[in-house]
Amino acid sequence: MSVAQPPDRSLSGRIRAAWGIVALPLLSILLALIVGALVMILSAPIAGKPVDLGLPLTAYGALFQGSVGNFDAIIGTLRTTAPLLLAGLGIGLGFKAGLFNIGAQGQFLIGGIASIAFAQLVHDMDPLIAIPFALLGGILGGALWAFIPGVLKATRGAHEVVTTIMMNYIALSTLSYLASGPLKLPLSPQPVTAGVGNAALPILLGRDGHLGILIAFLVVPLVWFLLYRTTRGFEIRAVGANPDAARYAGMKPRRLIILTMSIAGGLAGLAGAGNILGVNHQMSASFSTTVGFDAITVALLGRSNPVGIVFASLLLGAMRAGAPLMQIEAGVPVELVDVVQAIILLFLVANAVLRRFFRLRGVSANLGTTETMTATYGSEAIR
Amino acid sequence: MHIKRASVALIAALTIAACSGAAATPTPLPATPTPAPVVTPAPTPAPTATPVVTPAPTATPAATPTASPTPAASTAAPSPSASSTLKIGVVTDVGRVDDKNFNQFSFEGAKLGATDIGAAAPQVVVPNSADEYASDIQQYVSQSYDVIVTVGFNLYSATVAAALANPNIWFIGVDQSICVDATGKDDPTFACKGDPKTLLPHYIGISFEEDQAGYLAGIVAASISQSHIIGAIGGINLVPAVVRYIQGYQLGAMATDPTVSVKIGYVSKSDFTKAFADPAGGQTYATQFIQANKPDVLFQVAGSTGNGVLQAACTAGIDGIGVDVDQWGSLSAATDPTYGCIVTSAEKHLSNAVEASIQQISGGTAAGGNVEYNATNDGIGVSMEQDGKGLITPAIQTLLDTALAGMKAGSVTTCPTTCGQP
Repeated sequence: MSVAQPPDRSLSGRIRAAWGIVALPLLSILLALIVGALVMILSAPIAGKPVDLGLPLTAYGALFQGSVGNFDAIIGTLRTTAPLLLAGLGIGLGFKAGLFNIGAQGQFLIGGIASIAFAQLVHDMDPLIAIPFALLGGILGGALWAFIPGVLKATRGAHEVVTTIMMNYIALSTLSYLASGPLKLPLSPQPVTAGVGNAALPILLGRDGHLGILIAFLVVPLVWFLLYRTTRGFEIRAVGANPDAARYAGMKPRRLIILTMSIAGGLAGLAGAGNILGVNHQMSASFSTTVGFDAITVALLGRSNPVGIVFASLLLGAMRAGAPLMQIEAGVPVELVDVVQAIILLFLVANAVLRRFFRLRGVSANLGTTETMTATYGSEAIR
Repeated sequence: MHIKRASVALIAALTIAACSGAAATPTPLPATPTPAPVVTPAPTPAPTATPVVTPAPTATPAATPTASPTPAASTAAPSPSASSTLKIGVVTDVGRVDDKNFNQFSFEGAKLGATDIGAAAPQVVVPNSADEYASDIQQYVSQSYDVIVTVGFNLYSATVAAALANPNIWFIGVDQSICVDATGKDDPTFACKGDPKTLLPHYIGISFEEDQAGYLAGIVAASISQSHIIGAIGGINLVPAVVRYIQGYQLGAMATDPTVSVKIGYVSKSDFTKAFADPAGGQTYATQFIQANKPDVLFQVAGSTGNGVLQAACTAGIDGIGVDVDQWGSLSAATDPTYGCIVTSAEKHLSNAVEASIQQISGGTAAGGNVEYNATNDGIGVSMEQDGKGLITPAIQTLLDTALAGMKAGSVTTCPTTCGQP
């Protein structure tokens, strides 16, 4: 994997290389689960309950049962994974180009509401037309929402972290406006949109296994191909690694920034569209989700690599899908999942500490590695 | 250089992660869903009149509407030693269970109901996002629960679908009015041709006439105002319940004092987080509102944002009126002077309603369909004054009692024709 040293093609060499990549995420997950267990045990007295050393076992058992315990649970996990996967791919793509896209949340919401707007145009047409049209609406909505910060960064040097956060708030308000105004279900006393009619995604498997899940997983090889097998993908990675060198080599960082942001937004928008068309079928003005922010953890945990992101989104999706049963069986609040997730992120970000402590060798940063996850740059780099 | 850039990004990542956590599920504090200590059922002799318990015998000039027991207690009347095998589960709306509002008091009601009938303590699931509603309900169905309480309008369509698919499970939908077509499906045309009582016989849709509670609050506000300027701050104008409270408040005030000027403001017109989950924002908004409009009584209808509104009112030295539950009690105003100016609260008896439904289910007297809680069944009211200032005089109490009687008789209009519409 690493280009810094001559690649070791032997089996043990490959295992060592693979370990170098997965060791940090795995350790972070393990440590986070341990910390989560401690939090569970130690918080019991605060809540006025007896200390129960078996509680973490019950809770994690229920979490496991609720996420992969039976067929329905597995489908449920895939359902919660799909939006994380798509939005995570988008954020990971941004990382590759050195862009820190915090706006997946807004792009997800706009993708969702745009898919409803498009769906309402074709709600009585054949599903074969309605579904692709509504999904396209979601992609376009999300892409537009990320295109704006992309242009602002490329032309004005406005840092995307700031602008995408702002766009998240604008997305919330736009959603409220649309769901209580132009797209509102007529006669409804509540601010909620009309349904999506024939654009609803068909259920392929079990109770919740809608078409959007399949689409999400089909997008993975596409993104991988874009990144690693196309010129554009090479340019995206080159700009992320060193914008100055990329420009010197004749690439156009400005255009690439706008393009990357738009694709990333389109992916998050598709995530929103898939969820709305596959699960909710309508949106209330107070529609609430954490997908956009969870996806940041997914992209970091997956080290921006499409394959890594698949595993990361499966893990977080499983935790989300299992959380309800954990609340029912163990009485452990859903916030524990947030705690575990936050601690994973903390360990990933504080990787120097973990590396020192567990004597892990770092992976040298270059185009071939998956390490370009947090190198981002400000306006000075784009001229 | 590279490291420096990276570290900036890392700090950003952390901040954002923290913020996102805060926005969605305000505190990552792993507290178990035990309720805040505020709403302990009655044994305390102190006048922390909880909205949950039936109104205390009114020796004080209490504004609590009636001393008669709740409809639940009279219809089901379970013996304290009863034991029930009913498994009760609650699905709240996104947020947290101890929100001192809808989620909390619905869960509270379920717990009281379970205690009344001798059933095991109910479980609660807090969804992480809006696309989880249906699957969270399904979790209880798969675990063969008997009674599933879903909290808030947002869970309505998921609840209708679940009730249709599981006719033997009882569903209690808080703040949900059922409108179905002839097949028992959610009716988006609002023709409501289907009869929920027969199509979904095990689905109880609970709703409240908030305008009646607001009307009573308006009477109090107009009566105690010296300047004849009173105010009301709502969280957002997109939620019909919020608008109804304020419309009732306006009508109640005008009926009491035709010269009164009612100033109305909404913290946000688009952002639900700002509207209902941002006390600091509420305080800032209310401070400016008070400076601009100079009211001497301020009514809040803004969830926990409204707690900030009450703080601002108390800081400005004017009277505050709480909402939904007895906020003097729920905010511990007796010991916390920041909330010392709460005169009364416009209540909807959320916990009572859920508790009553569970008792009826257990007692075999429950029926599906819409149950509207209002003055006629003690579903709404105002809480008694507990600040010891005696602002609510016997004369005001008479006005309240007359208004309540009028509401029961249907002779008092508490909501305009645009009821619930901003």
